[in-house]
This record gives sequence, C-alpha cells and structure tokens, in this order.
Amino acid sequence: MADTVMECRNLWKIYEKITAVKDVSLEIKEGEIKLLFGPSGSGKSTLARCLALLTTPTKGDVFHRGECLTRPGVNLNKARARIGFVFQHIWLFHHLTALGNVELGLRRVLKLPKKEARERATKALREVKMEEWANHYPAQLSGGQQQRVGIARALAMDPYIIILDEPTSALDPELIGEVTDTLRALAKKGTTMFIISHEMQFAREVADEMIFFNQGMIVEEGPPERFFTKPSSDRAKRFMERLIKRTTKE
Amino acid sequence: MDPLSQLSFILWGVPTTLAISILSFLSGLALGIPLAFIRVYMGKPFQVMVDLYEKILRGVPEIVMMLLLYFGVGLALGLKPFDEAFFAVTFALGLRSGANQSQIFRGAIRGVGESQMIAARSLGLPTSQAIIHVMIPQTFIIATPGLGSEYALLIKDSAYAFILGVLETMKRTDILRMTTFDTVFPYFASAFIYILLTFPLATYLDMWGSRKRKELGL
Repeated sequence: MADTVMECRNLWKIYEKITAVKDVSLEIKEGEIKLLFGPSGSGKSTLARCLALLTTPTKGDVFHRGECLTRPGVNLNKARARIGFVFQHIWLFHHLTALGNVELGLRRVLKLPKKEARERATKALREVKMEEWANHYPAQLSGGQQQRVGIARALAMDPYIIILDEPTSALDPELIGEVTDTLRALAKKGTTMFIISHEMQFAREVADEMIFFNQGMIVEEGPPERFFTKPSSDRAKRFMERLIKRTTKE
Repeated sequence: MDPLSQLSFILWGVPTTLAISILSFLSGLALGIPLAFIRVYMGKPFQVMVDLYEKILRGVPEIVMMLLLYFGVGLALGLKPFDEAFFAVTFALGLRSGANQSQIFRGAIRGVGESQMIAARSLGLPTSQAIIHVMIPQTFIIATPGLGSEYALLIKDSAYAFILGVLETMKRTDILRMTTFDTVFPYFASAFIYILLTFPLATYLDMWGSRKRKELGL
C-alpha cells in the first residue's frame, strides 16, 4: 500500500459572493496521477491553490504526507518549497533567465551553494529538454518552452508532488505537444502529480484516475476508461462528448 | 569678464547642484521603495499613513519645507545638520522625492503584477525574500523612465537653494548678474547648463527603461 502524499478533507473555499469549493475530499498516493477536469469557473484552480497552500481554505483540512497544513502555526513556506506548482499562465520571473528561474528557489529557499544549485537547475532543465536555452530570458522563448521551464522550476525543488493548473490551456495548439510529452516522461518516472487538464488523449494515457469537477464539487471520479466509455453522471457525459468532439475536429 | 570666464564661474556651481540632486534622489529612493511596498502589502492603517505622507509632502511647496527645515528646525531648534543650508535643502527635497518615488514604485509594483508574487511564494519564498529577489528588480525596470523624470525635477528644484545662499549653479548665476550688471547672458548660460544636466540623462533612462521592458516582456 503506497503512502498518501496529499489529502484534503471536507475542503471549502468561500469568497464573498461565491462558494468556489464545496466540501471536497480527495487523496493522492505516492506515484499516482490524478487528473481533474470540468467546465471553466467550476473552481478547479481554487481547489488546486488550496491544495498547494497558496490560498487559505475557508473550512476543512489539507494534509501533506500526513502532516496537517491547515493548522495555525504551520510553516507554510517550508511546506510550499516541497510542493511543485505549475501555473496556467506560466508566470516565469521575467527578469531572470531560464536557469535563473530554476535556480532562485534552490538558492534562496533551499539555500544551496551556488555550484550545487547550478548543477541541480541544469539537471532539471535537461529533464525538460531546455538545457540549451538556459541563458535565454522568458520573453525570448516560445510558450511551450516557457512552460517547460515552469515545470523545471517546480521539478528542481525535488517536490513530492507537482500540482499543474491547466499547464497547456494558455498555449497555441501546436505547442501543447511538447509540454504533454514532458509530462508523459515525468509520469513514466513515477512522479506524483495532480493535473488539471482538458487534453483528453493525454489524460487517457497518463491518469490513474480522473475527477470530473463541477460547481465546486466532485461529480464523478474513476479510471479514465470509464469516462471515455460510460460516465455515470449525465453532466460528465455531456461534457466529455463536447471535449471529444472538439478534439477530433482539431 | 569675457563670456568664457563668466560661464566657468557658473560651472563651478554644478558640483553642488549635482550633490544636492543626487543626495536627495538617493534619500528619496531609500524612502520611496519601502513606502511603496508598505502601501501595497500592509494593512489599512499603513496605507492611510503612507497616503497622508504623500499628500503632505506633495502638497507643501518645496521652498516652504526648505525654509522650515533651515530656519525652524536648524537655526531655531538648533538641530544639526539642518543649521547648514545645504543639508536643509537636500533633506527637504529628499522628503518630497520620497513621496514622489513612493508613487512611482507603487505604479511599478502594479505593473509587475500579483502573479509574480504568487509564483515566488509557490517556491516557498517568504514575502520579504520575494520582494527583494522578484519584485524589486522588476519594479526598477518599470520605474526607470519615471525615476529619470524625478531626477530631472530634483536638478531643477535644487535651484531653490540659492535663496538660502548655497553656492550652487543658480546662486553663482545671481552673483554674476549682480557683479556684471548683465541680466541676459548669465540666465541663458545657466538655463543651458540646467538643460544639459537634465535632458540627456532623463532621455537615456526613458529609452533604456522602455527598451528593457520590451526585451523582458514586462
């Protein structure tokens, strides 16, 4: 039985006017890949940010490797250092090169000496096949290349889980492949991941479990095959049909 | 006195003009950056305090601040070093520049955007470290053109120092007028010097900032 890496119990996130996350519980075991999908505005990003402790949940608890991180007095910076997060809009640091982006956390958070940080950052860039672009600034890279640096930035910190919030949805269609290929390679290595994505072909290949999310709630979860053959909820069925139609049209 | 020696007489005031401008610019920087970040990242009471500071320092004429610091604080209260006109002037301009630069940097922080802060925090950087390593370098690039104008403003406002007798460019211009009875040449000469001191640097910083922004996609 693999260890539970990340877990949330009865998680709520309530903003002034809307409830973004309603009573969500889920867990991810070591080496597992869970893929969350659902309509836009359904609260997927908010859930991801709550799980990464980038947003404080209103109610409920988040556990990472058995430790409750929603208790008061927890050192959140220390926790965040070991949770990889990849953003939809990438958000590389504009003023730093690809290498500088990957090195920053190693130098300033993990306090590695310069040489070691450089080695580790270079290794992470190699893993996403961006080593030769190390000295380029984000603005000099394509969206797909930027996102691969974004993945390297998370990867270099040696996280026990990587949370990816729609890593390809801001990219031009022809650039999506290089990012999903990178993620496939990570999946093959057994990286634990929580991915929000609507790339259905990719989902079918890598996900151990898919979760359909709507209006802040988990509507249905199960192995990918079930979603592709006979999803049990009507809402998931209709959403899948639309996604698959869109994919085949492209 | 031939025009050349007249010009050189005025030029001897330039180092003092530069000293007032540069020192007040640097004090403004030392005040403005923290004020801007306090204004953006700290609670309501701090916001109100920073706003109040900005309103007062930008609302009071700089000459009033200078006279207050020199005669009031320096001479009447005997507080050093404001009993020196040079320091009273420089400090008064520095305080005002702090208010201006706070606004320049606040705009730049908005320009960099909250997303950079979130990305930095996702790596586990504490807010202070994120500000130092991620926000400040980028706000400087965005703020460069504004800082260039601020510097030009300080060069011009340093001319007020002549009222308190500081021997800078304007004071020397005035002395020249009194001794030569020429009311035209000295003013043209000093106008020309002030343009040389402000225009090239401000223009260069404006261009550098805009180019760098474009290069980095900021």
